[in-house]
Amino acid sequence: MTRPLLIVGGGPAGMSAALAAAEHGVPSTVVDEGLDLGGQIYRKPTRPDGGAPPHRRGEQLRARVAALADRIEVRRSTAAWGIFEGRRVALSQDGASELLEPQALVLSPGALEFVPPFPGATLPGVMTPGAGQILVKSMGISPGARVVVAGSGPFLLAVACQLITAGVHVVEVLEASPRAPWLALPLAGFRTPGILLDGIKYLARLRLAGVPVRHSRMVVAAHGDGALREIEHAPVDADWNPDRARAVRMKADALLIGFGFVPRVQLAQMAGCRLEWRPEVGGWTPVRDEHLATTVAGVWAAGDGAGVAGALVAESEGRLAGLAVAHRLGALDAARFAALRGPIVARLRRLAPIRRALDAISLPRPGLAKLVDDATTVCRCEDVAWRDVRDAVRAGCTTYRSLKVATRVGMGACQGCSCWPGVARLVAAETKGSPESAGPASPRPPVRPVTLGELAESRIAP
Amino acid sequence: MTPRTRDVVVIGGGAIGSCVAFLLARRGASVTLLDASTPGRATSASAGGLWPLGESLGLGCGVIFHATKGDSTNGSKGAHAGPGPEPLPRRFMEFLCASNDHFPRLSQELLALTGVNIESELGTGLLYLLYDEAQQRHARAILDWLGAGRHRVEAWTPEQVRARDPLVTRDLLGAIHFPGDNQVNPMLLAEALKRGALAHGARFVAEARVRALELAHGRVIAVGSDAGRFACGAVVNAAGAWSGQIAQLAGVEIPIHPVRGQIVCTETLKAGTLRSNLSTRDCYLLQKSHGEVIIGSTTEHRGFDASVRYENARALAAGAVRAVPALRSATVKRVWAGLRPGTPDELPILGPDGRVENLFHATGGFRTGIVAAPLTAELVAAAVLGETPLLPLEPFLAARFAERPVEVVRGA
Repeated sequence: MTRPLLIVGGGPAGMSAALAAAEHGVPSTVVDEGLDLGGQIYRKPTRPDGGAPPHRRGEQLRARVAALADRIEVRRSTAAWGIFEGRRVALSQDGASELLEPQALVLSPGALEFVPPFPGATLPGVMTPGAGQILVKSMGISPGARVVVAGSGPFLLAVACQLITAGVHVVEVLEASPRAPWLALPLAGFRTPGILLDGIKYLARLRLAGVPVRHSRMVVAAHGDGALREIEHAPVDADWNPDRARAVRMKADALLIGFGFVPRVQLAQMAGCRLEWRPEVGGWTPVRDEHLATTVAGVWAAGDGAGVAGALVAESEGRLAGLAVAHRLGALDAARFAALRGPIVARLRRLAPIRRALDAISLPRPGLAKLVDDATTVCRCEDVAWRDVRDAVRAGCTTYRSLKVATRVGMGACQGCSCWPGVARLVAAETKGSPESAGPASPRPPVRPVTLGELAESRIAP
Repeated sequence: MTPRTRDVVVIGGGAIGSCVAFLLARRGASVTLLDASTPGRATSASAGGLWPLGESLGLGCGVIFHATKGDSTNGSKGAHAGPGPEPLPRRFMEFLCASNDHFPRLSQELLALTGVNIESELGTGLLYLLYDEAQQRHARAILDWLGAGRHRVEAWTPEQVRARDPLVTRDLLGAIHFPGDNQVNPMLLAEALKRGALAHGARFVAEARVRALELAHGRVIAVGSDAGRFACGAVVNAAGAWSGQIAQLAGVEIPIHPVRGQIVCTETLKAGTLRSNLSTRDCYLLQKSHGEVIIGSTTEHRGFDASVRYENARALAAGAVRAVPALRSATVKRVWAGLRPGTPDELPILGPDGRVENLFHATGGFRTGIVAAPLTAELVAAAVLGETPLLPLEPFLAARFAERPVEVVRGA
């Protein structure tokens, strides 16, 4: 039998939602693509030399979920590849698919790293910081012999430290933002020093290892013939406009580059949830009410997938969503629900200023849209060059829908997840508008690979 | 200044609207092509089969249409119902064949003019697979109806099928082969026609959802849209499933209803995985130039809901694996749906509206819109320019529905 609550994504938000619902007697199923719960942030290292001990908070959540195994079913290595007609969720595990229609659905799929198109971005050796982190943490593989970490935001520092601990040679960290907003962090964060302690530790660690963190610098191109050989970086102004005359080249065989995160809203979109544009939390996010319910009945959204705000916010949001589900399903009366949610709402409010300060650092600035040249690939899946998109924009196609038809941009296997956030910014620069007016990508199932045979033989759960 | 008749606004940038715009612009009319980029347009959910014979005989996606006809609950395909689909009127078959004959020349013209290859592939042919004796009897009856003529149709043995398309299932009694039924890429067709229209001086306006038609003295004098107001001497309604709504803006009704069709598309597979276009009673399959295999399509009456129903996508996948077992391991790239403009008699609505003087329709293509596009556009363009059309328009006029009560199928 299908359990009343299905939670997609077993990171801090998903685990907390399952725990809160279970505490009030609501059984749930949590699905996650990983080998274990934890999400990206609390990913459990699968090797002892993985660069970092397991995160304590992640371990605690995992242990609490395990203790409630009778109420929380965990399906690991399971992908939710599509949502049909509201809450009908297609899952794939070990090559077999199943369609579930729970009474309540919590979407907590987390976020994707944001990498804008730039010349050479498709060279082997160029990857996201998260991908580099997985290589080290889960496979014990070094991304390269000379690694450059670049982009924006505190995540760069965390990854650089993990690489160093794992014995990887990190040449430099290039941060596009100036040093000033970093210095302002302690003021904004005085209420939640925990997060800042992490940041200070990272910086100290890098200094000790002799890895320079250079601010107001951005990678403008990657060079190599079949694989990355050199990167080219240049100083940028406050809007991240690069000064190409002062660009320098540097040898590197791995470039880990990312500019913050974009919420994974594809499943919410397939469920029919209305989105709104909130650039301060990564772009398109599902519209939610005060209890995190989306615009589709029975569907809640929590965590970074509903607006990037980090693990602590995700945990509180997950808890709030779990309580809201319990209340909606009749397991928690209105008075108890009100009493329980009060402290969570207060905590979310406390976390807000530090989040705003952290987000301000990684928030992409207009100069990012100035890296492409005519031949730069902007959509890898369909191999679309910037000139094709730009010509279509000039011919009047200024939204995802019309550009997709004219150029095939975003029509590949990634369903526009990887390319569209970057392309939308380029389109906005071209039209002197906002990425908002270019609209979100419209993903189609499957968002994870499924074979025809698997679809044909899939089961519809009672 | 009143706009001249030759100032034409074409509503709808799908294959039909783009083709009308292209032909009008080529003849020197001043054309504005308005496109709303509405999700679910039929051109984007078409597989691009050019099957004038197979489709007319009901052995293209007509088989699926027949299997689900009258089922407005979920559109899922049950057992093959009744004796089989009826052919479309012979006159319309000739229309589709004549339209199909335009493609080789059109393809070259568009390539030279726009650089876009519409991937109009000759020699793919259509194979209608016969799984059982009832189908075989039905196919024989259809071929008798067709009679001996200029149309090339062959009954193939399983061995012939295997020699041509080795990956097709061996579990069949034979196939009907239509060597003249080929394919095109519908998205590129629409894009090339649009660019061709631009090359001939037309204006293209994206994101232009039409909100109003301004009338004066029984004529449309301007089209109001999200992208501005466009004065006009004539309006062509090529808004597909939405063309009934456009007609209503002019105060007239045409019996167009959206017919949802779902499509499953695979990853890029080796060229020649499918050499022929295939149709079966469960689905049709064709491999496009860039290697994707498109599997379609359902026939569902769900109003303007262009979402995907899981059961139907699953049924298409099962049908595809039955027809070509090797496809079992092919990865699905995407599943989506489009809304085709259906009419009560399955024939398009073309030509002058008759009630609003300068309103012309180019809609109702349902399952034959792509193959019908070139001739449809010829006839409509001629009508707009006041020329005598190549073929009589009477069978296709909106006025034909005025003679009897109109039966509009409404979505659930």
